[in-house]
Amino acid sequence: MNTLITILFVIFAALILTSAIMTVTVRNIVHAALWLISSFFGVGALYLLMEAEFLGVAQVLIYVGAVSILILFAIMLTRDLEGSQNRQLTPRWWIALIVPAALFGLLIVPTVMTHAWQLPPPPLAGQPPAISGAQQIGTAFMREYLLPFEVAAILLLVAMIGAIVIAFEERERRRRVLTLAEQVRLRQQQQQPAPRPEPAATAIQASEATGSET
Amino acid sequence: MTDILRSWIGGALPDWLIVLIAYLLVTIIVLFYAVGNFILMVWAERRVVARMQDRLGPNRVGPAGLLQPIADAVKMFTKEDIVPRSADRWVHLLAPIVSLAPVAMMLAVVPWGRGWEPIDLHVALLYIVAVSAVSGVGLMMAGWGSNNKFALLGAMRAVAQLVSYEIPAVTALLTVVVLAGGMSLLGLPYLQAGVPLMGATILCGDPAGCSPLLYTTITSFPGSANEPVQALDLGLGWWVFTPVGLLGFIVFFIAALAEGERTPFDIPEADSEIVAGYMTEYSGMKFATFYIAQYILNFALSALAATAFLGGWQGPGVAALANMGGPWVHVAAALSGFYLLAKIWILFFVMIWLRGAFPRLRVDQLMDFAWKLLLPLALVNIVSASLMVGLTQWTGAQWGGLISLDGFAPWQRQLIAILVTAIINIAATYWILSINQRPTQEEWDEELVIAP
Repeated sequence: MNTLITILFVIFAALILTSAIMTVTVRNIVHAALWLISSFFGVGALYLLMEAEFLGVAQVLIYVGAVSILILFAIMLTRDLEGSQNRQLTPRWWIALIVPAALFGLLIVPTVMTHAWQLPPPPLAGQPPAISGAQQIGTAFMREYLLPFEVAAILLLVAMIGAIVIAFEERERRRRVLTLAEQVRLRQQQQQPAPRPEPAATAIQASEATGSET
Repeated sequence: MTDILRSWIGGALPDWLIVLIAYLLVTIIVLFYAVGNFILMVWAERRVVARMQDRLGPNRVGPAGLLQPIADAVKMFTKEDIVPRSADRWVHLLAPIVSLAPVAMMLAVVPWGRGWEPIDLHVALLYIVAVSAVSGVGLMMAGWGSNNKFALLGAMRAVAQLVSYEIPAVTALLTVVVLAGGMSLLGLPYLQAGVPLMGATILCGDPAGCSPLLYTTITSFPGSANEPVQALDLGLGWWVFTPVGLLGFIVFFIAALAEGERTPFDIPEADSEIVAGYMTEYSGMKFATFYIAQYILNFALSALAATAFLGGWQGPGVAALANMGGPWVHVAAALSGFYLLAKIWILFFVMIWLRGAFPRLRVDQLMDFAWKLLLPLALVNIVSASLMVGLTQWTGAQWGGLISLDGFAPWQRQLIAILVTAIINIAATYWILSINQRPTQEEWDEELVIAP
């Protein structure tokens, strides 16, 4: 079983790395987003390989189902997808390579050095193996990590309200299309000899002018 | 399945190969089951809609037109596969596959009968939601890869609808998670044993004198501190009979209609506005793949609704047959599979019926409906579900001394919980409906425009 898991791990790792490299090298932005999605899938499969079902499914739900769909939405509404004249490398690309590599090394080297890795994790002695982890995660969020959890929730709420405020156009006046009955009534009023200039008629002429503009 | 194979050919093959073969066999069986149902569903939809519209429908090929799907399949296979010259070839090719694969994956976790469970996943409900969200990527790829305005518009509409109706659907499913205390689908039918409204709370007074045909031993009985109890079981304790389950079922079913792009919500492929939406540039088998994906999605969503709220494979007689033991267990399994299939088909018939009865919504009506009606109802329902669990299962200590129901019998507690949740749900539904029906106040000056 362990050889099978190792083979699967190598396959998924290769998938993730290939997709990630394609994401940053492909010229077409939509293709880059699609490669990114396949990379997200690979990460979800790795979680499943570590028997973290909840994390794996949440990875697919959030990154593939929500984040990448938003990315696709944003990209498809922009122009110049091919980006033939876009530069892929800036003049100082080596700085951009060194800084993330150094940060990543700072994180990964101590972790790898100090932790004994095993796939799948060995079950604790005397206990049934914890398979889903959903309950442990929920308990941890509601007890130990309540403050960070709530802060993250408030951050998301603020972001959502901000998006609504930006997107909601402030309107003083709203234009409404007349119903058929109202049109007929107005036309009858216009055909009758008006004793004095009616406000309704002027409103209609004004609106016709604006209507032709739009 | 693994155990059967092990007993047959256990010595001849290594164990991991047997596991692999067992999974492949189960996959093939489930996929054939779904595709067989798809073929019948296409035929049923065409015939039933024709009947509702006073037409005949396909009735030439085979008895009552039953072989029409085969003729359709032959036509689809022999049709020329056209790829527009300016389309993105690979994205255009991959889109139908990406939209069908997740839908097929949804079928893996549904318990199709008593003991007929392909995979026991502890996060099955979340898995179904996550996987069904992936098919949106396929629709986007189809819309963009076709390089067609109508296809892109259709894909945008489809994904916007999918994303916004996912929220009420998931919130409605959360009530099930609260009631069941977990996200596994396998346990749901077992929890819905018993009699209508009361569930499995009518206990047997005398353990010796209770017939196994009427009473079932239920170990996961709520509130009994995990002692096995004998409860009256007619296989009808479906959650849809309780106020919480009824509201949850209605919200979930409407949201499922929108996710499956059924008629009141078929905006993404509104053929009178945008040709066929994201499927505009597809022909032959690629088009058929989208078609299959859509029907199997409807099938899977109906199966999910039936399992979560209508008791799944639970029905009169299943528990009695299973209690008789011996070969009768297999008869019980077959009967339970039939019950689930019958429920799925009834739900699908309601979908066809709605198609025959309702016109298409506008986009703004669609969004209003999701955000102003379904989501508040589902949120109220979560509160009711929590109260239901608290009133039926919590001890006085868990309530913190606030309420103590320890002295009551299970059926009395169930009755109290149903009364409380019914009052809350009816009041909330009435209030939310009345808010939505109130005409909007004129907050700004109106500029009147004559329609062009």
